[in-house]
Amino acid sequence: MKIRSDILRIYQSVHTWTGITTGLVLFIAFFAGALTMFQTPITQWAIPTTQTLPQVSLAEKDTLIQLAASENETVKRGFTINLDDNLSPMTWVEQGGGRGLRIKDEVRQASLNENGDLITLSTQQNVLGDLVDWLHRTAGIPGKAGHEDLGVVILGVASALYFVALVSGVIFLLPTLVKHFFALRQKKGSSRFWLDTHNLLGITSLPFHLMIAWTVVVFAFHDVMYDGLSVVYGDEPMFSPMPRSSQTQDINTLPPLSTYLQKVADTTDGYTVKSLTFSKLEGPGASLRINVVGDGKIQRAAESDIITMDPYTTDIIYSTLSTEENGLYGALVTSFFSLHFGNFANDAGRWIYFILGLMGAALFYTGNLLWLEKRRKKQPVQSRSNRVMANLTVGVCLGSVFGVAACMLSSKWLYLFNQSINPMYLTIYYAVFFFAIVYSFWKGAALSAIHLQYALAISCVGVPVTSLVMFLVSNNEAWSVTTPGAIGIEVGAIGFALLFFYGGRKTTQRAYQGDKNSIWFIANNAPAHLVGNNITPSNVR
Amino acid sequence: MARLSADQKIQPHWWSKTIASAVLGLTLAFAIIGLFAWYGPGGINGANKNQFNMWMISPIWLAIISFSFLFRTGTRAFLFLGGANVICWGLFVLLRYVL
Repeated sequence: MKIRSDILRIYQSVHTWTGITTGLVLFIAFFAGALTMFQTPITQWAIPTTQTLPQVSLAEKDTLIQLAASENETVKRGFTINLDDNLSPMTWVEQGGGRGLRIKDEVRQASLNENGDLITLSTQQNVLGDLVDWLHRTAGIPGKAGHEDLGVVILGVASALYFVALVSGVIFLLPTLVKHFFALRQKKGSSRFWLDTHNLLGITSLPFHLMIAWTVVVFAFHDVMYDGLSVVYGDEPMFSPMPRSSQTQDINTLPPLSTYLQKVADTTDGYTVKSLTFSKLEGPGASLRINVVGDGKIQRAAESDIITMDPYTTDIIYSTLSTEENGLYGALVTSFFSLHFGNFANDAGRWIYFILGLMGAALFYTGNLLWLEKRRKKQPVQSRSNRVMANLTVGVCLGSVFGVAACMLSSKWLYLFNQSINPMYLTIYYAVFFFAIVYSFWKGAALSAIHLQYALAISCVGVPVTSLVMFLVSNNEAWSVTTPGAIGIEVGAIGFALLFFYGGRKTTQRAYQGDKNSIWFIANNAPAHLVGNNITPSNVR
Repeated sequence: MARLSADQKIQPHWWSKTIASAVLGLTLAFAIIGLFAWYGPGGINGANKNQFNMWMISPIWLAIISFSFLFRTGTRAFLFLGGANVICWGLFVLLRYVL
């Protein structure tokens, strides 16, 4: 396909600028986003089984609610009933609450013992999964902009630029797209290899990327958009207020839980109830939020759909399901959410989104590498901007991954030594992240890329090793790795360890035997174990 | 392809094109969605249409920004996008408040 050369040049500039200014934050968001596919398993993996109370039958849960409410006033303000076998049957927040990353929340869990007496346990909420999700939404940028997280706003702007980068990238790729689509030329120099990789990643996952860019802009700026839209709506109200009962009620008259499950079964098809969250049970405005999981359905929330009811009358107030009342527009909007969250095809869908997320992170990493290659001069010491960008690319990208790996590695040790877990996660993440950046500016991109990748490989191996040690120390009581999610995390850690070990090895080869006129070159003699390994510059990346 | 003379070639004009498309592109997106909201399928009170309308603003806006660099000059970007705004908002006001 022929395109005028002046158009190509302009869109190449657009692509370069939008790409290089957003690549680093988007890398963090995509890498952490890939992990959020397993947010719930990550949190469950991090909590010792001794901090969960035994499940009870549905009828016993009714007794449990009444017992807990009679002994504790906080319960009437709100509580959650979990139907998941791996969770305590009933939980409520004793201190904290609200939106965002809640590292100080005290959660009380409740169940019944063999004699039918109330047993409770107060624990600090574990936020390991939430931390990953928070990194995904903010790239780890703290602070607030109005009532929104500053990081969310920054990622919203970055995503708008990223949308433009996607369009411009496709435009200036069009002339060579058909000819070179599946070409992955390894023997034509490293910049050609990175370019082919970058293009292959970008084009194969283009619909996913357009969808993510669009949804993130909406997630960040929906309030502004609604404000603007209200001008268009004029006197016509844009939202109809939710009906809420104004009566005060008595918790003793609450219908049994089976009533709600029956109602869900009667009004939906293919959904199972995961949890029921009651709030303001005795005040006006009592409400019940039911999280339902659809089998292979497009869903509104990250891992579920939501039905809200009046808890006393069981009237459905609001539902995110694609029902007739919600119309075609409701279903379309739900599909936009679902295509961001990757929740439409059960576990298979989550795995596909996990891989697409990592491919996205690789797209931004290779994009930065291409920027560095393109500005490379035939001289041993590269320009200052080139060196700074190389250091940042290595430090920020590997640093964020290393930070998460360090949190996961330390998690079980923190429980062993009774540290306050959540603040320690944050401390460890930021300490490791900034250490990686300082280290890459101190040692340079070439050496720090090697060291950080090996350190990452060791940390990742440390995760299953820790689990094994804890399993032996705790006599299989607190730390049994039995759920599919927990096993998946241990295996995944080994997978990442292999990846970073391989990466570290390749980077070492490039550093000692690659092109001399490059920021990746290290002038010292090569380590003995790599010499004579039959490595020629042509196959060194 | 015949060689283009200097003034036939697209001028970069980064700032003027970016400002034109970011500002006028957004107002144009609101005008298009405004017409769709009132006169598109479902009318102004279509179930959940408020959410759909909000969702569709940003892709229109971002598409305008993305393709605005095809304008030959920044001035033309202002003129064409401004003209499109006048037409769409004019139509909106006409349908909504005059007819």
